[in-house]
Amino acid sequence: MGGNAMQPLANITPLKPAARAGSVQLTGVGQIYPASGQQVVAVSEVSFEVKPGRFAVLVGPSGCGKSSLLMMMAGLLRPTAGTILVSGAPIDVPDPNRVGVVFQEPSLFPWLTAEENVEFPLTLRGVVKKQRRAKAEEALQLVGLDGFGKRHPHELSGGMKQRVSIARGLVQDPPVLLMDEPFAALDEQTRMTMGDELLRIWAATGKTIVFVTHSLTEAVYLADEVIVMSARPGRIVDRLEVSLPRPRTFEMLSGDTFGSLRDRIWRHIRKSA
Amino acid sequence: MAGTLGVKAARVAIVVAVFAAWETLSRTGAVNPRLLPSASDTFVMLGNLLQRASVRNDLVVTASEVATAFVLAVPIGTLIGFLIAENRYFAEVAKPLLFFAFSIPKSIFLPMFILVLGVGFSQKVGFGFFSTIFIVIMSTTTAVESVKPEHLTVARSYGATSAQTAFRVYLPSMLPVLLEALRISMIFNLTGVILAEMYASRDGIGHQIASWGENFQMKQLLAGVLLIAAIAMTFNGLVRWVETRCSHWRT
Amino acid sequence: MSSTTLRRLIVVTLIVLWEALPRLGVIPELFLPSLSSTLAAGWTDAAEYGHALVVTLYEVAVAMVFACGGGILAGAVVGSLPRPRVLIMPMVSSLYAVPLVILYPVFTVWLGIGSESKIAFASIYGFLPTMLATAAGIQTIDPQLLLAARSMGATLSQRVARVIIPAAIPTVLSGLRVGGALVIVAVVVSEMLISSAGIGYLISRYRTILESAHVFAGVLLVLALAVAFNAVIRWVERRAAVWHTGTRAGRDAVVREVVGQAA
Repeated sequence: MGGNAMQPLANITPLKPAARAGSVQLTGVGQIYPASGQQVVAVSEVSFEVKPGRFAVLVGPSGCGKSSLLMMMAGLLRPTAGTILVSGAPIDVPDPNRVGVVFQEPSLFPWLTAEENVEFPLTLRGVVKKQRRAKAEEALQLVGLDGFGKRHPHELSGGMKQRVSIARGLVQDPPVLLMDEPFAALDEQTRMTMGDELLRIWAATGKTIVFVTHSLTEAVYLADEVIVMSARPGRIVDRLEVSLPRPRTFEMLSGDTFGSLRDRIWRHIRKSA
Repeated sequence: MAGTLGVKAARVAIVVAVFAAWETLSRTGAVNPRLLPSASDTFVMLGNLLQRASVRNDLVVTASEVATAFVLAVPIGTLIGFLIAENRYFAEVAKPLLFFAFSIPKSIFLPMFILVLGVGFSQKVGFGFFSTIFIVIMSTTTAVESVKPEHLTVARSYGATSAQTAFRVYLPSMLPVLLEALRISMIFNLTGVILAEMYASRDGIGHQIASWGENFQMKQLLAGVLLIAAIAMTFNGLVRWVETRCSHWRT
Repeated sequence: MSSTTLRRLIVVTLIVLWEALPRLGVIPELFLPSLSSTLAAGWTDAAEYGHALVVTLYEVAVAMVFACGGGILAGAVVGSLPRPRVLIMPMVSSLYAVPLVILYPVFTVWLGIGSESKIAFASIYGFLPTMLATAAGIQTIDPQLLLAARSMGATLSQRVARVIIPAAIPTVLSGLRVGGALVIVAVVVSEMLISSAGIGYLISRYRTILESAHVFAGVLLVLALAVAFNAVIRWVERRAAVWHTGTRAGRDAVVREVVGQAA
């Protein structure tokens, strides 16, 4: 129920890579940036650990810094304080071998087909076409877009585009997948379908997922653990285990457990706003 | 667009540097001073020119041609633009034709104007009109179409009369676009008139510039170029300034 | 009657009038030579027109290299780097208000009445609008694409080569279209003003001897050139349409494009 006590960095003995693969550790992470002549504290003293294979959701009000945290975990932003370890090693530049990233905007390159988009990280690395194509097809199959590889993004719906984006994040088989409000731009029905799809993919691949959202329902529905953040400056105000059985079903949404978990999160957010 | 003080200063510095380079190139003889009289000499000549009656007369001629063409083109063009924007059928018929007319270069029709109208005032006004009318039509149409239907619906639901809708919704909504159109139309107009003067005319500042060129009078030529450039940019800046004053509500 | 039919009817009527009115003497042949006499004039002196066309095309081609090539490059640089852009753009936009044709006599003094002065003039004429159009277009490139590329570990050169350049292609084609059209106009106009060869020169010469049919034939030829150029680029643009994410409203594009035609 409560947060994990973090070991001070100096005492961490590096374990065998396999054991740590897919873990995400934040220690005392902070982010300050200048804006209109002032220093804005986006995130302050955030520490938590996500064990391998878990589905963690970061939830909080707008501007609480959850997206900044994700950017830092992706290596797209340097923390101004603290450290971030992914699979036991620090991350300060993007590393698609360790971390796949899915943004709110699918950001597919419109001049490439779906499969070319998915294999793009491999193209950057100079992988040969045959291998790239094979991996891309695998990834597309995983997200349920078998046979759509030759389509261009403008021929795909919003949900499909986002699935391609997810496939792209998975193509290098990273142990960790970071997702920043990936379904926020979709309509509600698509969002619910995509949520189930994501859980299916997660169950099939066993990856660690860190998912950011501001929808409480989505958070409780998807997560193993929910990390609740306060408004700016972002701080962790609660961590809770979601003990609902898997696979999650639509009926659980109206259950008591679900409701009380969601209420609890809401109370924390309201208090800290 | 407004810039901070530093940016403005940098721009001024760039302009000064350009003039300084000009001055140096000429004075040091790096470029033949007969081909490129120094900046200072040019400015002196400019002052000189402004005092000559013939030059002033030419400016007046050009100005009157530009004004006349403008006064003719704007109302007619606006009217046509309105008609196109308001009438769906008319728009469907006319738009592709107008689009084609926009996309073809109009300067090449100048010789025809001379064949018909000779080399006098009417030819230059006619060509100026021709150069301007299309952009006025198009800008008006765009301006009318840019008025959001939601605004019109709100006005109607509160019982606004046609006149009220025209003045309180259409006009303020269209004003920034119309001002911009005014500015651009004037550019086309001035360009058309000056071209006509340079090509075949007995007077006007365009003709004078062409004449100086033919006679290799570089100082006068460059001074004339500076003069027209200054006038054009000043007018442009003025309208821009008025535009920004009126457009503060636009994103 | 459908609008298309009415439009076609209007065009056909205009063509018929073009032929009929001069023939019937309603409009003097001096002002409006009939369509048939215009085409006949062009046909009989086809060799002369052809020769002039070659000169003009040569000047257009060279000037386009400078104006479009330079304009696109400069526009790409200015569009991508915020500081030069903020610095230069308003100044360049002001310059746009000046009728550049007044510079042509300067070029004739410096470079004579041959092709060089026209190439120089047309290069300058086409450069500015191309640069403005390219700079504006570069800014429409979705920054999210670059973020995504970065998240996939793309290096700077990979981002430029695999994201910025493909994303900029519609902009580049548009700049080419704008700049090219302006270059054609500038070359022909400068040939009309002071020249010894080229289509513009031919048109002017026939005007001074009041050979209206030949004047019109020359103008038609230039029109054909402009239309053909436009059509070719548009064809290429349509092939590359898969790049177009529709970031600009069609209407805006037309306005910009027309404004880009300064003459």
